[in-house]
Amino acid sequence: MARHSPVTGRYVTIDVDGMEYKVFYLQNGKGQPLICQHTAGCHNHQWRGLLEDEEITKNYSVIAYDLPRHGKSDPPLNTKWWESEYKLTADHYVNFIVKLCDALELRDPIFMGSSFGGNVALQLALRHPERFKAVIPVEAGDYAPGFYLDWWRHPMANAAQVCASGVWDLMAPQSPDKDRWLTWFYYTQGSEAFKGDLYFYSVDHDLREELGRIDGRKCPVIMMTGTYDYLTTPEMTENTARQIKGGVYIEMEDIGHFPMSENYPVFKIYLKEALRIIRERKG
Amino acid sequence: MTTDIKSWAIKFKNLSDSDKTMAAMAKYYTCTYMWDMGEKKLIIEMHDGKVKHINTDPAPLDAYDFALRASAQTWREFGRPMPRPMFHGIWAASFREDLKLEGNILVLMQHLRNFTVQFELLRKCGVPV
Repeated sequence: MARHSPVTGRYVTIDVDGMEYKVFYLQNGKGQPLICQHTAGCHNHQWRGLLEDEEITKNYSVIAYDLPRHGKSDPPLNTKWWESEYKLTADHYVNFIVKLCDALELRDPIFMGSSFGGNVALQLALRHPERFKAVIPVEAGDYAPGFYLDWWRHPMANAAQVCASGVWDLMAPQSPDKDRWLTWFYYTQGSEAFKGDLYFYSVDHDLREELGRIDGRKCPVIMMTGTYDYLTTPEMTENTARQIKGGVYIEMEDIGHFPMSENYPVFKIYLKEALRIIRERKG
Repeated sequence: MTTDIKSWAIKFKNLSDSDKTMAAMAKYYTCTYMWDMGEKKLIIEMHDGKVKHINTDPAPLDAYDFALRASAQTWREFGRPMPRPMFHGIWAASFREDLKLEGNILVLMQHLRNFTVQFELLRKCGVPV
């Protein structure tokens, strides 16, 4: 008997800012849509634990997509993308996510993303609070400078290994070897997109003067950060959440910057609490 | 103290040369680097994935490709079996603590996968400061 996973994969084609994208996504579960964004330079396998978690998927439709240029989502099909340097902007990233949610006809989805996915969750809460039931920015902050580096694609170094080992100690030493090495493995696959993603993460994303405009009472913002995250530290996230009306900060003990991928059982403890708060506030 | 650092060097070399993760991918791991621990300095010479030599008493003009410099206290944190947050790697400690990465960083990047694995062996053998 074949040991099939309940998770299924599909492609959907959408147009965003004149770009035609054929987007790959994984889905499992029924109920409240929970749409998940992977971290920069990575792909949707980071959400493998959540996607197969029966306790969550019995009440939530979990969707984890690959952002264009990552995993199985190709670069735009209708442009000569190889003739310009990839630099992800906040505008385009936000427009992409809204268009994808529209195409999938998601009603009141909860958006969750980690790292650059967490930062864009804040952008969504600012720009489209009516489109999302709530957002869960994981390992996020109002501003995260310092990671837009040339080393990610330096021609004299092995870019796959630089990206994968360069993010190694974003993970906590307590996280299981198996899951840390899987996350390392995913990171060997995304080096061409990593630096362009980090243009958004470290340069274009800057909400230091905008947090007061986010209303967490309309669109709850539940921020969660691991104690071993050196990029967006617990202090940085807490400081961000404090400036958002109704913002919530949850500190995750003994975990790092890729919590859903490096140690799902620990991450799940905190995710359940975030979902509980959202149910309490929004039903 | 000299004996202590030499005993540490033997222990570190044995750990590194017998590490399975290193053996799996370190065939071209050839470079020389300094670990500056404040109270003590070391120069480790790697050749084809093996520790060729550990200079436990570097002279001023002894050469290396790149250096990691931090206080002895930071190195002691690196050497804990389960390091505290921000002392759990060279990126974390260079972003948030007093670790400085100096010299030819390109060489470090070229060997980052193997260097990272090797650096974490300090959790097994501790540090000589």
